[in-house]
Amino acid sequence: MTRLLGTADAMSPLPKVGSEIIEAIERSRLVGRGGAGFPVATKWRAVAQRSRGDAVIVVNGAEGEPQSKKDRVLMSERPHLVLDGAFIAARVLRARAVILYIGERHDAARNAMLRALSARPESERRLVTTSAAPARYVAGAEAAAVHFLNEGIATPTNVPPYPFERGVGAAPTLVQNVETLAHIASLARTGQAPQTTLVTLAGAVKRPGVLEVEAHATIGDSVLRAGGAIEAPRAILVGGYFGSWVEPEHAWNLPLDADSLRRHGLGLGCGVIGVLPASRCPVCDTAGIMHYLAGESSAQCGPCFFGLRALADACTRVAERGTNPEDIKRLQRWAGEVRGRGACRHPDGAVMFLSSSLHVFAQEFAAHRAHNMSRSA
Amino acid sequence: MSNSVLWYTTRGAGAVTLILLSCVVVLGILSTLRVQSASWPRFLTTGLHRNLALMTLVFLALHIVTAVVDPFTNLGWAAALIPFSSVYRTFWLGLGVISFELLAAIVVTSLVRGALGHRAWRAIHWLTYAAWPVGLLHGLGTGTDTWSAWMLAITAACVAGVGMAIFFRLTSGSADPLAAARTMFRSAVDRREA
Repeated sequence: MTRLLGTADAMSPLPKVGSEIIEAIERSRLVGRGGAGFPVATKWRAVAQRSRGDAVIVVNGAEGEPQSKKDRVLMSERPHLVLDGAFIAARVLRARAVILYIGERHDAARNAMLRALSARPESERRLVTTSAAPARYVAGAEAAAVHFLNEGIATPTNVPPYPFERGVGAAPTLVQNVETLAHIASLARTGQAPQTTLVTLAGAVKRPGVLEVEAHATIGDSVLRAGGAIEAPRAILVGGYFGSWVEPEHAWNLPLDADSLRRHGLGLGCGVIGVLPASRCPVCDTAGIMHYLAGESSAQCGPCFFGLRALADACTRVAERGTNPEDIKRLQRWAGEVRGRGACRHPDGAVMFLSSSLHVFAQEFAAHRAHNMSRSA
Repeated sequence: MSNSVLWYTTRGAGAVTLILLSCVVVLGILSTLRVQSASWPRFLTTGLHRNLALMTLVFLALHIVTAVVDPFTNLGWAAALIPFSSVYRTFWLGLGVISFELLAAIVVTSLVRGALGHRAWRAIHWLTYAAWPVGLLHGLGTGTDTWSAWMLAITAACVAGVGMAIFFRLTSGSADPLAAARTMFRSAVDRREA
């Protein structure tokens, strides 16, 4: 069984793989691990089938999700595995450039990647440039990365054209999360994709942090591997701030693989599993997270900028002054009106999170009394 | 008789062109100001702006074609297309030609805006601020009816309308409600070399 973490990170010559790896990726049903869950083979095929010119590979280690740490841990522990994936992509897709796009505050991860890079052969090193991703939520989005590399502004742009059609310097560009690249490197070396996935356990667990779990492991298994919950959980956040709250008894036996989650209307997103203890107020926490997400709108699309702010304000009114039916109704109506109205998926992710809050914490929202948010959160 | 029909048409179409063009300019400015009310949604401003602009071009074409084919004027097509090439009232007609060609450029670039990109389109659209006064001067300088009371009233109304719109545009600051927020966010994610 190949694993991503807990294995020595050694450099060895790249396996001689060609475009047949795209079929192998497709058979493995690998989806992007940055959060969007986009099918990897589709992107690779689009870049491979370009009519002319060279491609560009962007190694996406921006990791802007505040709770997520798995990309940083992976880059720190297995930099060669990530680079293997990047150079395999460069070879298969005939890329002229590999860009390491790593969060500007992820110093340990970037240092580990650069140290590993300095040990690689000249033929690989000369392809590589590095770039520091601004520490904002949207900076890791594929189109924002391309916008940043082209113009120095890390905000999402309209798609299409998708980066895999027209990206860095107008070349077809593969923007791929570092964990995804590590999966591909393992697949190329062993002929089998790792049946594991990286998750970050956050909140009320005994040992918060990054875990590598079997794809068929349940959320309960991963919480137990993190030492278990430190008190009775009220709900579990699956997929980070663009994810959904799930009742603990429902979440506990839910397998973490993409297909099972999708059947329940969920997604693993960036792999954050947050445990909310019963002692915390879910309404105040929801308001706090909505405020954060509203502040991370890049103010390019009105429905996102104004909509998320209005939703966050309504959440805050309920949290600070107590429940009122008008705001609850507004929250439900506005959440539906914001979805799909941005150039990127930022508003969609935020209202998906909010809708799950309104659903799972319906009683708390309906019965909420005034709280001082700063004390609770 | 047919000659005077052409001549009256030229003058009438010229006056109508001025009215329509002034309306188009005012609507264009209103759309950047995002003017709206319950009974006047924003798409009405932009829709009217676009359709009246196309109609302006129709009347402008009528104005030019009837002037050229009128045997009495003996202008010739070159005079209608090359600025200051006309023997008759060289300067004032030249202004009309310039105004027409600027408007044609503005309309054509608007029709292919998708292919052109927003920045280039917008830069060319700014030429409206040249095309309108140049066209107005053309009318004042060479118009047969310039000093008749009704034409003076039309001209005054057009100047007042466009002047007021420009005044509001200049004094209302940025109409983009996201501008401040976007600038703030961009300052956090902008790493361009100074």
